[in-house]
Amino acid sequence: MKEPLPFDHRPDTMLGEALRRALDPGDAAPFVARVLARAAEARVASWDAVLARWARAGVAAAVLVALATGYLVGRASAAPTPRPSVYDALMAPPAHPGEVEIVLASVIGN
Amino acid sequence: MADPQPPQRAARIAQQDEADLVVRAAAGDRAAFGVLVERYAGVARRVARAVLGSPEDADDAAQDALLSALVKLDQYDPRRPFGPWLLRIVANAATDRRRRRTVRRVEPLDAGLTAGGPRPDTTTERRALGERLRQALGELPERRRMAVVLFDVEGYTHAEIAAVLGIPEGTVRSEVFHARRRLRALLADWKEEV
Repeated sequence: MKEPLPFDHRPDTMLGEALRRALDPGDAAPFVARVLARAAEARVASWDAVLARWARAGVAAAVLVALATGYLVGRASAAPTPRPSVYDALMAPPAHPGEVEIVLASVIGN
Repeated sequence: MADPQPPQRAARIAQQDEADLVVRAAAGDRAAFGVLVERYAGVARRVARAVLGSPEDADDAAQDALLSALVKLDQYDPRRPFGPWLLRIVANAATDRRRRRTVRRVEPLDAGLTAGGPRPDTTTERRALGERLRQALGELPERRRMAVVLFDVEGYTHAEIAAVLGIPEGTVRSEVFHARRRLRALLADWKEEV
């Protein structure tokens, strides 16, 4: 047999065909179907993982918002009301004006 | 089902066509990914079988590689041909799987097969030749096996094979040469017997 050139750039069709037959994997349809099914499963799994990641982040954010809201509401309701000054107390309209009139009438009457 | 796209033709498929398919597949188009899988299933399985020997292991490795490629599609450079990019993943998957095998049986080429032995009857000739070639391939270093399969079976160029295997082009030529010398000798013996 003629020794091939070391750097023969042309494919050897006879050897290639024999090797192709030797390595023939058989029917491709079941293999393709299997790969596509696994790809679909992997895609669903990856979506689940994405949603799970977002769900965890969402729960954490909701907890933070609830805590912050509770803190602000609690702080607002616990704040003390300012006490009225003496001036305000004297100048404010009387809560029970009748009592003042009664006192004045009794003083005038006596 | 036969190979929907013979590899030699697949290698000539317009690059833009494949780049479009890849973009669509990466965006979640299952049909586009299906076309790519159909197109490359044959070559992926053959290359994996050249490395692993067992057709079952080869199919598992080819499947792992195709699914891995699906995940990595966004890393593919559409200016380059898709085949070598994918086959590099296939070659790595097959090599990894072979390394993971706890026990690797390397059986020397049967003396009866190499030196002739009893001539098989005509109905089993082709099968026996296939068995001889697989055994001879199994004796070659892994890189040499892939080089000769990619060159003589799949029709890839030396440059493309260099990209697949991550070695210089000159090394690919050398690997193909040595593999051919061994396999051609086996084929010559076979023809003389038959």
